[in-house]
Amino acid sequence: MPLSPMHHRFLRGRCLRYSVLLLFICCANATPQSHASTTLYVGNSGEPGTLDPHRYNLRLEETLLNDLFMGLTTFSAQGDVIPGAAASWSVSEDGLQWRFKLRTDLLWSDGTPLSADDFVYSLRRLLDPSTAASLAYFMYMLKNAEAVNKGELPVTALGVRSTDRHTLVMELHAPYPFLPERLLYPTAFPVPKHVIDKVGDAWTKPAHWVSNGAYTLADWQPEAYVELQQNPNFFARAPIQRARYLPLANEQAAYNRYRNGELHAIASFPASEIANAHKNYSTSLRQAPLLSMMYLVFNTRQPPFDDARVRTALALVIDQDILTDKVLRSGASAANGFTPAAINNYEHPKTDTNGTPEQLLRRAQQLLADAGYDANDPLRITLRHVSSNEVKKVNLAIAGMWRQLGVITELQQSTMNAHFADLRQGEFDVAWAGWIGENNAEHYLSLLASDVGDVNYGAYKSAEFDRLISLARNQADIAKRNELLQQAEAVALRDAPVVPLYSLASRRLVNPNLRGWYDNARDIHPLRYLRFAQDSTNQ
Amino acid sequence: MRLPPAGFLLRRILLAALTLLALISVVFVLVRIAPGGPFDGERRLPDAVEQNLRAAYYLDEPLPKQYLRYLHGLLNGNLGPSFRNKDFNVNELIAAGLPTSATLGALALALALIAGISIGATAGLHQGSAIDRWLMALNNLNLAVPTLITAPLLVLLFAVVLSWLPAGGAEGWRHFVLPAIALALPFSGAIARLSRGSVIEQLTTDHLRTARAKGLSEKRIVLRHILPLSMLPVLSYLGPASAALLTGSVVVEQIFAMPGIGRYFVEGAINNDYTLVMGVVVVYSTFIACFNLAIDLAYAWIDPRLTATQ
Repeated sequence: MPLSPMHHRFLRGRCLRYSVLLLFICCANATPQSHASTTLYVGNSGEPGTLDPHRYNLRLEETLLNDLFMGLTTFSAQGDVIPGAAASWSVSEDGLQWRFKLRTDLLWSDGTPLSADDFVYSLRRLLDPSTAASLAYFMYMLKNAEAVNKGELPVTALGVRSTDRHTLVMELHAPYPFLPERLLYPTAFPVPKHVIDKVGDAWTKPAHWVSNGAYTLADWQPEAYVELQQNPNFFARAPIQRARYLPLANEQAAYNRYRNGELHAIASFPASEIANAHKNYSTSLRQAPLLSMMYLVFNTRQPPFDDARVRTALALVIDQDILTDKVLRSGASAANGFTPAAINNYEHPKTDTNGTPEQLLRRAQQLLADAGYDANDPLRITLRHVSSNEVKKVNLAIAGMWRQLGVITELQQSTMNAHFADLRQGEFDVAWAGWIGENNAEHYLSLLASDVGDVNYGAYKSAEFDRLISLARNQADIAKRNELLQQAEAVALRDAPVVPLYSLASRRLVNPNLRGWYDNARDIHPLRYLRFAQDSTNQ
Repeated sequence: MRLPPAGFLLRRILLAALTLLALISVVFVLVRIAPGGPFDGERRLPDAVEQNLRAAYYLDEPLPKQYLRYLHGLLNGNLGPSFRNKDFNVNELIAAGLPTSATLGALALALALIAGISIGATAGLHQGSAIDRWLMALNNLNLAVPTLITAPLLVLLFAVVLSWLPAGGAEGWRHFVLPAIALALPFSGAIARLSRGSVIEQLTTDHLRTARAKGLSEKRIVLRHILPLSMLPVLSYLGPASAALLTGSVVVEQIFAMPGIGRYFVEGAINNDYTLVMGVVVVYSTFIACFNLAIDLAYAWIDPRLTATQ
């Protein structure tokens, strides 16, 4: 139906007026508000499940807890272990008794003095079954810890006591030379008994918050942000007054917000943007190898993976350099052992996987033929992995490498929880797995010990390996311990119950005007060392 | 017009309550048979620790007892503790997230209505012209492209390239502009189609011819006669649209990293956080049941024959 000219005029006038209004609304105050330079905006890799150091579970919670609390030992700006609440410590000759001298100027954020008894209370709380701490086993090296945690002994039986206000003594059931490093974890942080006694579980709410770190909890809006502010009672005042951690589990969202100048630093961004970041944000891009190991595990409970020839054949044709340099291209480094290269004072054992790809392929073909597989009767494998694009790419490439041997691989993916639940129950042929751990080789090699439980997913069992690990565990001297671990690693690499693939690399963007930020293998960056260089805008 | 009889009202409320109960029961079972458990991680928990955790959350009880415990809590307005968010219970989490989700939903609905009706009416009033063809072509494009694509494009253009608006979060009104647009787009498309059709229908009616014959101004004809009557199909679409807006916000909240309950749903499902997933389902389904109830009642109010036949 034709309309009169008046119709047109009316509609045009209205439309124009509304469009102009809408444009005005959008553009008004269009550039993002510049943040007050006293507040730091950081993207964290997700929402913390808790800020109770004894109930925490995740890496992203550790990030916050490291700023809120201080353990006996702590991190330097470079991520090394340095004295924290303890000014010094000594260890008995047999490595079983550790004596920590606390600083004398320790206060809780509400001004209450902090003493050795607070640490005794806290370790007892961690291992008390009623706390239901999922990482309680981190402190199982303490005497009677496991029995206390199982409810078999009272918490008072735990191997920890104070001899005076500033002296804490820990007793171990076996030597553990890496104790200062283990004390970096929030599981060993002190919690404020005087507040918990009063308000119970509500102590982690901002209204009741008391902690002993460089920062205290100012505000916490679930899924929106966690805001920290300087702790006036901390012994060394931090330069940055306030910091907001935003939970950005979605890497793309974090990347977009950084590019839009909304954040000073982000925990990670999509691997697919690495090239773009190199080009456009070269002064912001921060990458460092992480203490981590990604690997394939064979289910040695069942044929054909109970045959070392099959496992070795499959391991030989996997080219780790191709996975890191051509497939992932995320800064990850190819593995040449089951322990990350970034571990201090530890060297990988020499392996015999050297040779041209053709030589390795021929050797693998021979091994597989010896085991009874050939083109007429090809080996069929289901390769399981978690649903992640990066991991899927890697596994597709591995399936391609195995194809050279005539192996037919079917990929199967599931969520993180379901994947590891099935791995623990041994419901897989070959599976992708990963471990982000400490700065000691034992932490990784223990995954293959037969007494470690179902985290030895493939149920690898070697008397020789177990013997070496057991010897290492009772050795108080780090150098001697590492020698034994190196021998154990050589055994594991020979038997190939796992194929080490690569170590991850951190992938961060950090405003170049944020000073005091040092790349390190733990990817730890305590707030108290950071400061702004004048005003900051992202590159 | 008279109000629908009390019997009809009661029947409808009872039906809505039964639907809710059935839904809650099904979801209760579904979350538990999904692979993985709330305390699964890369490393197995020592038996003692897992036992302590399960007891703390009553997961060691038989399933029927857990179900009754949940229903009992629900009747008392208690949605239970969250397995993953240990420092907040589900009530606190939903109270924190609902304002964001509700604001986003309301803004998107308003935007979809304004844009959809304007586009639909303009096209309808210019039926067959170039304006009509262009608007409808654009509208079809809008309907065809999913939010998963439009939302990142909006971020790229208005946040990353132009730096006009924030790329995510919900700290102020500016943070809601892009998500509300992204969420509103597909609904504005559907509304535009509906209103175009009904405007065209109105243009051929007798009363419009009468109005014109009486010499009423075009402005008055459009505002008083065409638009109000052509809104009826749009109104009936609002019920399902409001429900779809709520569920659609799950995707938008995820892309824009907004602290709404849609995000809890996704994270709860990934982490096997039974109570959190249940809580969001209860809130969503209560909303949807209420929308549907309101629409049933509105229909009955407008058309009394409905109450007579039921």
